[in-house]
Amino acid sequence: MSKFKRVKKYKSDEKVTAKTFLKPAIYLLPFILGILVFTVYPFFNAVAISFKEDYKVISDTFSGWGLGNYQKIFSDPTFIKAIINTTQYVLVVVSISLVISILIAVMLNSVEKLQGLFQTAYFMPMVTSSAAIGLVWRWLFNYDYGILNYLLSLFDVDAINFLNNPQYSMISLCIYGVWSMLPFTIILLLAGLQNIDPQYYTAAKVDGAKTIDIFFNITVPLLAPTIGLVAIVNMISSFKVFDALYMLFGGKPGPAYNLYTVIFYLYEQFYTKLKLGYAAASAIVLFAIILLFTMVQNRIQKKYDYY
Amino acid sequence: MRVKVKNLTKRFGEVTAVNSLTAEFESGKLIALLGPSGCGKTTMLNMLSGILPVTEGQIFFDEKDVTDLTPDKREVGLVFQNYALYPHMTVLENICFPLKIKKVSKAERIERAKEFAKMVHIEEYLNRKPKELSGGQQQRVAIARALVKNPKLLLLDEPLSNLDAKLRVEMREEIRRIQRESGVTTFFVTHDQEEASAISDYIMLMKLGEMQQYDKTRNLYNQPANLFVADFIGSPTINQLHGVYTKGGIKVDGDNQIIKTNHKWQVEEGSRVVLASRAEAITFNDKDDVKTKVVESYLSGKDTLVNLKIGSYNLRGYIDATKPIKIGDNLNIGFKTEGVFLFDELTGERYYE
Repeated sequence: MSKFKRVKKYKSDEKVTAKTFLKPAIYLLPFILGILVFTVYPFFNAVAISFKEDYKVISDTFSGWGLGNYQKIFSDPTFIKAIINTTQYVLVVVSISLVISILIAVMLNSVEKLQGLFQTAYFMPMVTSSAAIGLVWRWLFNYDYGILNYLLSLFDVDAINFLNNPQYSMISLCIYGVWSMLPFTIILLLAGLQNIDPQYYTAAKVDGAKTIDIFFNITVPLLAPTIGLVAIVNMISSFKVFDALYMLFGGKPGPAYNLYTVIFYLYEQFYTKLKLGYAAASAIVLFAIILLFTMVQNRIQKKYDYY
Repeated sequence: MRVKVKNLTKRFGEVTAVNSLTAEFESGKLIALLGPSGCGKTTMLNMLSGILPVTEGQIFFDEKDVTDLTPDKREVGLVFQNYALYPHMTVLENICFPLKIKKVSKAERIERAKEFAKMVHIEEYLNRKPKELSGGQQQRVAIARALVKNPKLLLLDEPLSNLDAKLRVEMREEIRRIQRESGVTTFFVTHDQEEASAISDYIMLMKLGEMQQYDKTRNLYNQPANLFVADFIGSPTINQLHGVYTKGGIKVDGDNQIIKTNHKWQVEEGSRVVLASRAEAITFNDKDDVKTKVVESYLSGKDTLVNLKIGSYNLRGYIDATKPIKIGDNLNIGFKTEGVFLFDELTGERYYE
């Protein structure tokens, strides 16, 4: 029934000899090499560094193994604040962008004419340089001339100092985060929607279902596997939020250094303070958090395997 | 519920799928929409259900014109060719769905769903998901889901085509039983004449969007309206001898004898005709005088199915298995009155007596 059958695992009848092993190994080598140098080695090195006491990067020396780095960062209120900020950001941005994206994707899916044009339009931000986008958003958020404040003024709302008032900086960051997450999310959801057999909609219509019934009873449940996938991917990427922050607030973590995220903390420890041990330890903590969320997600996801 | 269609037409761009079809269907019957692929039978069904808008013409349910009503307002139950069960719902939820949409209370809809689940014999599988069911079980669920809203019309789109041969025979009897028990007027689409003949009360045979014959199932076999109907219905396929009508008989192409039967067809001398005869309408009596040659013979139960050559055409008949038959033998045959028809070669129209 389903278009996508799971691929079964078959063992090749060919015997593995040095010769049959060598050829595919050569094909795979460039990729494996890249992964080893740029992903695997740095990962294990970071784990190692995070346990090295008083690690000095220039001389590559340390005084011994231990949990000192972890003790240090967990007693640093900035780091705790960074974890809280990041988690808040992730929860808000991932959930709001999902809801908006589902609505837009469903609408896009029902548009018959110019669908390609709309898809391209929604996809544009993905292929635009983030530095340029950051600049544009700084203008949109501008206190005196920004279009957002102009729109608010139409509703008699006083101008908000999005970028310079610490009270609003988290909101500004989230607005930007939601916006930048939309294209990728919409495209994936649209692909998911197009995999739903239109016959279910016809069947539901014959059963008397209205558009809203169909949306909640058919579309959303059948889209759930895609929604779950997108949620995981978005969660992982937004836990690593950094460039949005850097761009919006001109290289500072918020107007009053109030908006540290884990990666910004890491960046600062690494580049500004040259505390590689702290940076590595905070990276490992973030890794653990993401791993935990992903595992929970995966567990929930298993329930939605219909086909 | 009685169904009437008047000048029903559906065009897709340049293609006419159903062409000005007028017919009246009796209430409470099982009606087969039969025909080769591309004949417009599924289009016809979809127009009855309301999924497909009508290009021209009208549809009446009893006296009510439903031509412009949406599917949900027509009170029809539809079973899709691949069942279209909602994969994320259990069997019970699937059957309940039309009632849930109608805002029937939860207790009542479960009760009614169980009642229909029992009728189609799937009450043990209520908590399973569609993917955990066999094709036959999925089909029963689809029928229960279509029936649970008490439709006035049940529409089945090639309901048996996804099943294996054994299950197909079993399920067609089930459909017959369920239709009898519920008493709902039922249309089902099929391209299999045997399937249609086996269970339906009436058959509407279609070809290229045109209705060929709408009649009681038996009559399509016994009284085909034209050569297409005669050819489509029945297994083995009806024998067809092409030739010229001359001197009160038929001179088959490639043969010199003039075949005379005891029919009194009103045919003009010299017309091109087709003499069509059911295999069981061929006789092998001593006084029979139509000369043929045995080409092949197959044992078929108590009879032997013989393939005979007459002129440029082949002819099949059933002969008593005790009679010794050799390939190449000359064999004299005759034609019964029943099951033998004469058609115009060009138009396929039937000549009546």
